[in-house]
Amino acid sequence: MIIAEQKPLVDIKAMLDGYQDVLVVGCGTCVTVCLAGGEKEVGILASALRMTTKLDGNGKDFDEVTVQRQCEWEYIEPLTDRLENYDAILSLGCGIGVQTLAERFPDKRVLPGLNTTFLGLPTEQGIWEERCQACGNCILDQTGGICPIARCSKQLLNGPCGGSQNGECEINPEVPCAWQLIWERMSALGLLDQLMELQPPKDWSTSRDGGPRRIIRDDLRLPEDYRD
Amino acid sequence: MKYLGSLLDQIGLNGERVRMVNLSAAMGARFAEVATEFVEKIKELGPNPLGKNGKP
Repeated sequence: MIIAEQKPLVDIKAMLDGYQDVLVVGCGTCVTVCLAGGEKEVGILASALRMTTKLDGNGKDFDEVTVQRQCEWEYIEPLTDRLENYDAILSLGCGIGVQTLAERFPDKRVLPGLNTTFLGLPTEQGIWEERCQACGNCILDQTGGICPIARCSKQLLNGPCGGSQNGECEINPEVPCAWQLIWERMSALGLLDQLMELQPPKDWSTSRDGGPRRIIRDDLRLPEDYRD
Repeated sequence: MKYLGSLLDQIGLNGERVRMVNLSAAMGARFAEVATEFVEKIKELGPNPLGKNGKP
């Protein structure tokens, strides 16, 4: 899932300077699960903002709503009727949610309340770790299900490097060496011989190097006459 | 509690206004001691700056 964390309250307050009536919009999907921007977090943040702006001598109004998914038109459409009452929208969605709101409601100021951080999972309660960089050309079949693009600090395809010490990465002992993990997994699977093959330089054109990405599925598109 | 204290600090309400203490039902004397101590602390911090109705 997409992992995000809330911006510091002082930064959010600064963004809201000049806006009096604000709608705080949460998202019921990834950021709810990573406890950054769901209904509960929307309630806590809106209350905190009501209190802190009152203490500053300029109490602002914050209303709350959480949609199931901020990143799809159909889920944000119901917001249309109520937006005229607000000067700004404070989104607790990920960067995609913020941009979906801004694209759908171009006459509204849409502000991000979260820092979208990475694609990952909770490895234990209160800890989230990165697992995927969405490079567009998955090689997990070659690496025992452990991604060297997301988890090796140098994104090596033929690791480990000389900085791997006792299974730890040289950038930080708390970062496990991805290639040590790959080696151990492939060894346990009896597939070490596959790691002996040298991997050629990766084609990064499927990643960000090729510019913003787009997938078109003609089998799923509506006939031209039915498109918006 | 650490998070709540930090949030109250960021809001401007002072994180020292909230505290959690684990006590068993058999610790009446300790309860009175903690409560007295906390009342003193709250008096020292003064009234809630937001006032009774959340209005400063």
